[in-house]
Amino acid sequence: MVDNRQAPEVKENLEGIIENFPDAIVTFDLDGIVTSWNKGAEKMYGFTKEEAVGRFLPFVPGFLVVAEKEKIDRIKDGDILKDYETVRQKKDGTILDASLTLSPIKDAEGKTVGAICISRDISEKKRIEKELVKRNQELSRLFFISSAMRGTIELDRLLRMILTAVTMSDGLGFNRAILFLVDDDKGCLKGALGVGPASSEEAFQIWSRLSLEKKTLSDIIRDIETGPLRKESFLDKLSLSIEIPLSEETILAKTVKEKRPFNVQNVNGEPLSDVILSQQVGTQAYAVAPLVSRDKVIGVIWVDNQFNKRPILEEDMRFLSAFSNQVASVVESARLFEQIALAEQELENIFESISDKVFFTTKDYVIRKINKAVSERLGKAPEEIIGKKCYEVFHNRKEPRRRCPHHKTIAAKKPFAGELEEPYLGGTFLTSSSPIFDSTGEFIGTVNVMRDITDIKTLQQQLVMKQRMAALGEVAARVAHDIRNPLVSIGGFARRLEKSLEGDLKDYAAIISGEVAGLEKILGEILAYVRGVSLEKHMVNIDSLIDEVTDVMKSELDEKRIVLLKDLHASSEVHVDPGNIREALLNILSNAIHAIGNDGTIVVKTYLKKGYTVVEIKDTGCGISDEVLPFIFDPFFTTKGSGNTGLGLTITHKIIEKHDGRIEVESKPHVGSTFKVFLPFKSEK
Amino acid sequence: MKILVVDDDLHIQRLYKEELTEEGYEIVVAANGAEAMEMFEKENPDLVTLDIRLPDVDGIHLLRQMKEKKPKLPIIMSTAYDYRDDFSVWASEAYIVKSSDLAELKSMIKKLLS
Repeated sequence: MVDNRQAPEVKENLEGIIENFPDAIVTFDLDGIVTSWNKGAEKMYGFTKEEAVGRFLPFVPGFLVVAEKEKIDRIKDGDILKDYETVRQKKDGTILDASLTLSPIKDAEGKTVGAICISRDISEKKRIEKELVKRNQELSRLFFISSAMRGTIELDRLLRMILTAVTMSDGLGFNRAILFLVDDDKGCLKGALGVGPASSEEAFQIWSRLSLEKKTLSDIIRDIETGPLRKESFLDKLSLSIEIPLSEETILAKTVKEKRPFNVQNVNGEPLSDVILSQQVGTQAYAVAPLVSRDKVIGVIWVDNQFNKRPILEEDMRFLSAFSNQVASVVESARLFEQIALAEQELENIFESISDKVFFTTKDYVIRKINKAVSERLGKAPEEIIGKKCYEVFHNRKEPRRRCPHHKTIAAKKPFAGELEEPYLGGTFLTSSSPIFDSTGEFIGTVNVMRDITDIKTLQQQLVMKQRMAALGEVAARVAHDIRNPLVSIGGFARRLEKSLEGDLKDYAAIISGEVAGLEKILGEILAYVRGVSLEKHMVNIDSLIDEVTDVMKSELDEKRIVLLKDLHASSEVHVDPGNIREALLNILSNAIHAIGNDGTIVVKTYLKKGYTVVEIKDTGCGISDEVLPFIFDPFFTTKGSGNTGLGLTITHKIIEKHDGRIEVESKPHVGSTFKVFLPFKSEK
Repeated sequence: MKILVVDDDLHIQRLYKEELTEEGYEIVVAANGAEAMEMFEKENPDLVTLDIRLPDVDGIHLLRQMKEKKPKLPIIMSTAYDYRDDFSVWASEAYIVKSSDLAELKSMIKKLLS
């Protein structure tokens, strides 16, 4: 009690102030017995003045009585306790957070006789504080989950991470989660995967195991990041079978259309709740949240608490929505990445299957990438090609070829195309080369397409040559006839004069014949040059040459029921005039066909023997008698009667001789003949 | 020995005739295919020099006709243009490009008639 003898009016004033003060102000003696109780206290704690005064502090909850008595002891020692936070109990039993200030009440002698306690309800403040802490934790979890996800570009793995985060107790803490993705083509939501126990028993097992293993969310996320991916849980399989049309009026369809979450507290009370879905997953209450990326709903997360039956609260919904917003963009990126990876694979396949040779180089001629055609043409593994300089690989040189379009492209940073004959690869290539620039416009390399036009080129050359020959041959023959003949006469008669004349006149004749001889020589050289283009030896594969020849004869063989067997093992390149050799082989084969008549067999073999490529043509024809055999290569010798020139084998013989080869013949009448053509396979001329 | 010279260039015909006569051969001449076959039948030469380009027929054609009749008769293809890579001339015994210097022709004839 306050000593009031000296200033009764002050006391009255003070009591009035205290009585009406909004904070709860209570006085009590050193045993904790309430001595005064103002209106603020009545309001805050629910006890009236009458109920409180004379009792031990009624707002101290049972579990704090001992602690409270210790505090009173400290007051007794003269301490002042300022703004300490504790809890207090209201008359109705509810606990509230309070901030207290306790000061001693002293008598005239200065001895502590009691205490005054001013308490303030800080429940609201506390609640906001707690909220902040929780938000903070949520945000840090979200941050952790989304940063783990941003590192994961594999869509399946990412989706599993998301659902795990949704169902882990230190994640969003739902029992089960299913992820649906929007399928624009089909106009539906398709289940992608599900995470959660299949039954209450399994739920119990999983939860007890997890609590034993003490795995945190980050541990599990890491497991998913690196571990094997399985889609075999009950919920996975179930989810994969679910398709929800967006055209129907259901909660899930609405989630997509309205881009907002739904919390279905009771499936029976919600007419739009998808009955089939609820039955399939066997749920009573669930919530859904859209995954919105760039203003488009790409999917929906479905959650429930089927096993612990915990109601889904507003704060769960808030967290779920925040989470969905976080992951949506990541899912979208992963999906795009997956599409890009697919497109890339497609491009790669196309690139590999292009029959032209395609390669990329840096601006320093280093080959960065090649397709299969390149390694096949070069007969080298890609590892032997990539990283090398292109001019080493394609030209076998120490520096680029000046005429190479690729070289020009690198020099001028402009596209070039052109034909290039490459002796090292033994062919002619139409090469087009284009520069590649990076996004800043910096020249970084080239892309090159090489087409092997050797065959076309050869054909073109042959055609051009034939045309030229026809024209030149005509001209040459005329020139020869019209100029050589008079020259022969002039020179020839000058020689005759020379023989019969004397002195100066003899000299004059000698000058004429000498000059004519010179002109004849020049004419000869010119004509020889014109002729020179008509005969050209190439490297030719003998087996393919035989294929060409036999193709020509096919209809005749079929007509006469002659079986042609080929056993070609030379695969050797011979240096020959293909036209000549074709003619030679054609003659031998025609003779064989003629010797057989109808019904028989011709066997054509090729093989290598002692520096020669051997073409063996064996027939089951009438054969050649020993008397005739020595004459078969003579001109106009024929056993075939009229209509035959008798030049066929003569020509064949001369052709083979010209190629430094030879022909051997074995024959038995009524059994057949074998012609063996020997061509030197290292012949250069 | 009788030689049939077939050439439509009359100067060359005369040149061959004079030069080869000096060598001791009897020379008969023809300026086209018809004449050539006529002389071939009538004169029964021991050797023929045959120009390829003739006004009426191809020398190659004559070559075949003569060879069919007398396979062993030596024939020298004597032409202004070099046909030596043409298969069809290969049936002849020899082949020569006409020249104002007849030395090669003479030695060829000598060899074939020996």
